[in-house]
Amino acid sequence: MPKRLAYLVLVAGAAVMLLPFLASLFNSLKTYADYIAVPPGFLPDPFEWSNWTQVWERAPFGVYAANSLLIASLAAFGNVLSSAMVGHALARMKLPARGALLTAALATMMLPTVVTIIPSFILFREFGWLDTFLPLIVPFWLATPFGIFLMRQSFLAVPKEFEEAATIDGAGPWRVFTRIHLPLVKPALATLTVFTFMSSWGAVLEPTVYLTSPDKLTLPIGVMGLRGQFVGNDQLVTAAALMSLLPILVLFLIAQRYFVRGAMAAGLKG
Amino acid sequence: MASLRDRLWATLFASPYLAHLILLTAWPVLALAYLSFTDYDTVSDPEWVGLDNYTRLLGDEAFWSSLGNTGVFALLYVPAQTVLALVLAVALNQKIRFIPLLRGAYFVPVVSSWVVIAYVADSVFNPRTGSANTVLGWFGIDPQAWLNSPALVIPTLAAVAVWKGVGYMMVLFLAALQAIPQERYEAAMVDGGNAWHRFRHITVPGVSGTTFLVLVLSTITTLQAFEQVYVMTDGGPSGASELTVLYMYRQGFQFFQLGYAAAIAWVLFAIILLFTLVQLWLQRRWVHYA
Repeated sequence: MPKRLAYLVLVAGAAVMLLPFLASLFNSLKTYADYIAVPPGFLPDPFEWSNWTQVWERAPFGVYAANSLLIASLAAFGNVLSSAMVGHALARMKLPARGALLTAALATMMLPTVVTIIPSFILFREFGWLDTFLPLIVPFWLATPFGIFLMRQSFLAVPKEFEEAATIDGAGPWRVFTRIHLPLVKPALATLTVFTFMSSWGAVLEPTVYLTSPDKLTLPIGVMGLRGQFVGNDQLVTAAALMSLLPILVLFLIAQRYFVRGAMAAGLKG
Repeated sequence: MASLRDRLWATLFASPYLAHLILLTAWPVLALAYLSFTDYDTVSDPEWVGLDNYTRLLGDEAFWSSLGNTGVFALLYVPAQTVLALVLAVALNQKIRFIPLLRGAYFVPVVSSWVVIAYVADSVFNPRTGSANTVLGWFGIDPQAWLNSPALVIPTLAAVAVWKGVGYMMVLFLAALQAIPQERYEAAMVDGGNAWHRFRHITVPGVSGTTFLVLVLSTITTLQAFEQVYVMTDGGPSGASELTVLYMYRQGFQFFQLGYAAAIAWVLFAIILLFTLVQLWLQRRWVHYA
């Protein structure tokens, strides 16, 4: 492809990607009359900056944000810890039936959440976990197939010498894992952290099924509910939706390469 | 020979996933199989009804229409997404500047949740205030109802899905393109092949493994699509965008017919599995691994 054509394609495509975000950003700063005006204007007239603060004052936006932050952080931490442990067992330890476990992990990947949501709901109800954060956190503490494959791949690439030297110095398996091997796979840990955080942060199905109390809702569910609360104030809901994107956007800007790396690993696992 | 101690430590490290296999794999599969043969309203105990749920499914027009909707969605979304992702990846695979910046732009919809996407898409496809109708107006075309139109709702949803997902698939293609040896292109240049020839005979076969992967991933994504329709249309207008997973969710969590919903889940799982197997078989016929 000629370079000039490549630039043209990419810049036009990038505009298609970003212009809708810009349009909704402007929508979120309009008065309602301006928001519903026909023909629509692109720029707000006037700029209603208070829309973004009103969301915090008129809805429990802060509660939703705190819930999402807590759930996504605990999910990410749990998934990184447990997937690293399991990946380490598969790659570097004398695990019985290692092949069977790898096959099982592959098979689980074909079993989508939408299929398992009904029995999972029944299980968590038996545990008395409905309307708590536990069904949204605990599954991540039991390692995910994607995390296991990512971590196993990274641990396989670590040279044996470090481990041997540490073992001679008397380090046990837990010490080898935490002090020697984990620091050597930091990029994979970062990748899994941002990926888990992102998917937990944006999840719709599981929080819809498991959470009911208004003060337990996560951001996506809370923001969806604002539609009913802010009838005739759609610009506020748009502001809330965009605000819920901000933390992920910041995380993405800081750690773009880990997002991209994670995308590749998720695609190339099969 | 590994000592017992070593094996115990290894099992301890693997124990989170052993728990996962019991609670989140074996239990759901077995429970789902059992439930699909029962009547279960979540309050009283499940009641065995044999094949009733499955025979009901055969005659359930709403179920078949949801499968049809899912099929149309997949037929529109999968090819468009694959072709666009490849074109963008080829463009991005040049020695050009601002690559992280450009790549970043395509990733913004990827990292956004469907709730965010719903509002951003509304700024485009809102029938009264969206920019899509403004653009159509420049060409003298009448405004469209988009998500409110039974005919346009699925094409519009597919367009939004492509818009959200293309950056992700683009990155996969980019990795594959970078793995094609540069010598092949140089040899083709010497032989006098034009750009289209090189694309057709070197690039396309060179990325066929990834093309296969992208096809599998996006087909499976559509078969599991729930969040997008739940957030954007809730199956409307009048069921025109009711996809199968949404239908299952409604049966299970709105009408509390968990036995029936379990039967739908099994059928869905069987279809997903079937597609994976068909594509694995096709892969052997036309994928050229470098």
